Amino acid sequence: MSTDVMIIGGGIAGIQASLDLADMGVKVHLIEREPGIGGHMAQLDKTFPTNDCAICILSPKMADCFSHPNINMMTYSEVKSVEGEAGSFDVMVTKKARYVKEDECTGCGECVEKCPTRVPDEFNMGLSNRKAIYLYFLQTVPRVMTIDKNSCLKLTRDRCGICQQVCDKDAIDYEQQDQDIHLSVGAIILATGFSLVDALPLQRYGYSKIQNVITSLEYERLSCASGPTGGHLERPSDHKVAKRLAFIQCVGSRDTRRSRYCSSVCCMHSTKEAILASEHEPGSQSFIFYTDLRAAGKGFQEYIKRAQEEYAVTYVRGRVGEINENWNGDPVIWYEDTEADQVKRMTVDLAILAPSLRPVSGSAELAEVLSIELDEHGFFKTNPYLGGETTKEGIFACGYCRCPMDIPESVTSASSAAAGAGSIVFGAQRSVASS
Amino acid sequence: MSPDGVPRYSDEDKCLKCGLCYSICTQVEELDQELLEKFNWIPPMGRYERVASARTTNYEVRNVCTDGGVVTSLLMYMLDYNLIEGAVVSRFVGPFNRVPMIATDRKDILSSAGSDFSASTHVGVVGDEYSTYSPGAFALKDLAGSMRTSRLALVGTPCQIHTIGKMQCLNIVPSDMVKYTIGLFCMENFAFSPLAKQEIESKIGATMDEIRKLNIKDDLTVTLNDGKSVHIPFDAIHDFARPACLRCTEFASDFADISVGGLGSLDGYTTVLIRTDTGQSVYQSALRLGYIEEMAYESYREKSDSQMQMITRIIDFVKQKRMRKT
Repeated sequence: MSTDVMIIGGGIAGIQASLDLADMGVKVHLIEREPGIGGHMAQLDKTFPTNDCAICILSPKMADCFSHPNINMMTYSEVKSVEGEAGSFDVMVTKKARYVKEDECTGCGECVEKCPTRVPDEFNMGLSNRKAIYLYFLQTVPRVMTIDKNSCLKLTRDRCGICQQVCDKDAIDYEQQDQDIHLSVGAIILATGFSLVDALPLQRYGYSKIQNVITSLEYERLSCASGPTGGHLERPSDHKVAKRLAFIQCVGSRDTRRSRYCSSVCCMHSTKEAILASEHEPGSQSFIFYTDLRAAGKGFQEYIKRAQEEYAVTYVRGRVGEINENWNGDPVIWYEDTEADQVKRMTVDLAILAPSLRPVSGSAELAEVLSIELDEHGFFKTNPYLGGETTKEGIFACGYCRCPMDIPESVTSASSAAAGAGSIVFGAQRSVASS
Repeated sequence: MSPDGVPRYSDEDKCLKCGLCYSICTQVEELDQELLEKFNWIPPMGRYERVASARTTNYEVRNVCTDGGVVTSLLMYMLDYNLIEGAVVSRFVGPFNRVPMIATDRKDILSSAGSDFSASTHVGVVGDEYSTYSPGAFALKDLAGSMRTSRLALVGTPCQIHTIGKMQCLNIVPSDMVKYTIGLFCMENFAFSPLAKQEIESKIGATMDEIRKLNIKDDLTVTLNDGKSVHIPFDAIHDFARPACLRCTEFASDFADISVGGLGSLDGYTTVLIRTDTGQSVYQSALRLGYIEEMAYESYREKSDSQMQMITRIIDFVKQKRMRKT
């Protein structure tokens, strides 16, 4: 029997569950496949409906995770195999080679400065470039460099090697190998989050062909002060500030051919993004093309009313059929105005797609490793009355990987999953004590 | 460069022995295959979507340009419409003295006009040697640390464009800043000592200070301040070619988005080879917005014949340059 808990996914849900359990005195192993924790919330500029800075809420929690004596943070790691049952799981975790010694690296950035290779930065959704050796993002935890093995010239072509030469701490290790680590845990919490819809519905709206058609997550990076444009809403084609914006809802969601479910957060995050556009560039005009407005949370309807009245955001009821481009690179939106019962077109500076949010890629493989079931949409199947327990006892799910939900709901579900996992490991503790 | 034309260290102590200079050298074949595949290169001079004879519509540009002023106008269009934040060109700072620079406004672009043959027509003073070669990549290097941009256009000779292409294959800085490349047709560049300068002056029959413009088409054409033109066959100036240029086999900037030169077009027009989708998009937009205009033909047949003539002339020079090495 083990009294440890493994949490897979270091986004806001995984972080919250880790802190809750660790504060209860449970030893937690937090597994994150990216080089740092934070998840998608770290990419957001603000959160709705309060317009609080996302990273300002998240950063202290990330730092707590790093310094908490009960949390063993394993970043750049993935779960390879899981065996056993509630109270006694044997887990094999693969810690991917960073080619940087985590204990030695101080995150000084000298290697980044000197690295000659620049490739698109995934954290900034490819809107800026990073070096081949890089810090995942500015406030990343742990503050340790990572070498991207696919673009490092030393690892791919046996050239360069500059980072090793300039590192005072001798922290660069090109010989580092992936490492398998065995863990014994009593319960597992899944908090793997979401990824954006597959490319096809996006392409229907010209995404990747029309430069000024972007996704909402790209927009979040554009509007973020620590993002690639320093918070200026520069559109990709010519870096002019976008003054007329269209937010297209339900891209791939509520679609019988794609994701039939509602992603639940798009109406609200698009409203937030439209408000931000107005705050960043006073006088800008935003149009939100919606199917139905879903504003069911606390203060959400008031938030929409505020957007309409204070920020002159226009809500257009109608589904967009197609987006094409004029000679100046401006997206031209063709849509049916279902209130006026007319097909219309509108030219804007920037079109922002709100794609369907899906369970993160690799969910099916993870479900197989864990021997749990997925629901019809690919989310981890959970019992709604049992704090997020999946189809296997001792394994819980929280956050977006369980079902579509916003950040406050993710945090709540994380705490409920932590309670569920806690009841198992504390049960194990009691049985150990009584025996 | 060392006196015998071989590259040398500017400061050996600073060398980290990373080997990248070797990898990106145009004379090293290491990355050539990747570059050929990236550009779908086909013999004899790479892929091109379209060939045209065009000129600027701007009279101010026409007065200072070498041929049709197409490069200057394309750069102006890209700057006006914010496609780029600057262009790597060379600036005229005195007779036969041009330096590489980043042009960030129309005035800068205009001051570099006539240098659309930058590396092949203007003379820069490097040390006590005269050289027609303008090391545009140096300007990029200086920028790498100071300017945060990924949107520059580079106007350069085939070797410069080739090197930038190799750097982009490796994703190494500062090539990521270069979004558009305009390559020049280039036979060779010249480097000569003060003594050789006198020899050239005797061939031209005028002093260097009296020269207004140099142009390379079928030969080296020197236009003097009084408007008189002197034609010098390549053979007569072959001895003054930069040693590095004699190793080069690329004439038509095969890896540029757009390649340009006077060859094949009538005086006052520039021959334009549009090679990539990026090049096509820039050229078409500049055409549509009236920055440049194409030569008018009376019939489709005449246009087709003219295009064939341009291609034939370019291929002829491509072969000449390649044969010169072998």
